[in-house]
Parts: sequence; C-alpha cells; structure tokens
Amino acid sequence: MSAEIEEILKRYSNYPNVSGIIIVDAFAIPIKTTMEYTLTVHYAALANNLLAKGSKMVQKLDSSNELTALRLRTLNHELMIVPEENFFIVVVQKPCE
Amino acid sequence: MSAEVEEMLKRFQALKNVVGIIVIDNDGIPIKTTLDNTLSVHYAATMQTLREKARQVVLDLDGTNEFTALRMRTLYHEVMLCPKDDYFIVVIQKPCE
Repeated sequence: MSAEIEEILKRYSNYPNVSGIIIVDAFAIPIKTTMEYTLTVHYAALANNLLAKGSKMVQKLDSSNELTALRLRTLNHELMIVPEENFFIVVVQKPCE
Repeated sequence: MSAEVEEMLKRFQALKNVVGIIVIDNDGIPIKTTLDNTLSVHYAATMQTLREKARQVVLDLDGTNEFTALRMRTLYHEVMLCPKDDYFIVVIQKPCE
C-alpha cells in the first residue's frame, strides 16, 4: 500500500505545475513530502491552522455542512488543502498564466 | 458607477448555480448583498475572520506574496472569497454535481 502511495505522489509531483505535495497527519506533522523539510513543516503548520479556521467557519454558518477542500490562490502559487479523517493533504502549484 | 455595480451583481446572481453574492467592507459590514440581511451579516463576520487568517498564512510563508482568492468547497456549496483593497467579495454557489 505504501508503494502505491509513493507512486501516486510521484505521479502528481511530476506535473510541471506542481511545486510540492505534503501529507500531514492530525497533529500537523508532515508524514510524506516532496519538498524540503523546513518548508514542509512551515506549510504544514500554517495549512493546519487555516484548515481549522475554515472548518470552524463553515460549521458556524451551517452545522450540518463540512469543509471538503480549500484552495488559496496567491500572486505566485495556488495552495490546495484537502482534509480527510486522520490527515490532510497540501498541494502547492504554480498555476499557468 | 453604482448602476454598473448593480448590473454586474444582477448578472452574476442570475447565473444558475449562484446562491448569493455579498460585498463586504473592511469593517466586516456587508455593503451590497443578494441574500437576506441576517445571513449576510453572519457570512460577513465569518468570512472577515477567514480573510484575515488567509492573509496571515500567505504573509508568513512569503512576505512579498499576497492572497488573491480563497475557495472553500463544502458538502453543499462552494464559497469564494476575493479580497480587494477596501472591500472583499464573497460568492456562494452550488457546484453542479
């Protein structure tokens, strides 16, 4: 199963626009990454924070609703954060202009 | 100019999947909305917090970067937040499945 995960990670990180993929566990610790470690930890912490906030806001507006994905577009990249039950995935890409 | 704004709001609101559009100023007060007032104020308050959070995340990662859009996909809707200098726009849509 782990080989399958590695394979999927590699396939997506080979796309020209993808800067990096990070899989983060429920404690905001990166468990798999394709980027350099310090940056990974930085992204993981901030993404965890933002995801928690986003999730809370969605629940506040409608308690039956749940956040399924969050995309943050900035000047230089696009950050996509997808929460799952026990972990979340962060993908950083450079959208083609 | 206000007629132009109204016209644009109406045009986008008429799109099939759009549930509502709210234009919110920097103090978190909805200045133009196509939803009812209570809901607008509720969205304005929650989105204001999220906008601040997202801004901080991006600034923390790279001081020269700025966030230009935030999309949150939830079970029932997709909420898009677009910050500008003096205001920000929130659009809520039901993505077609």
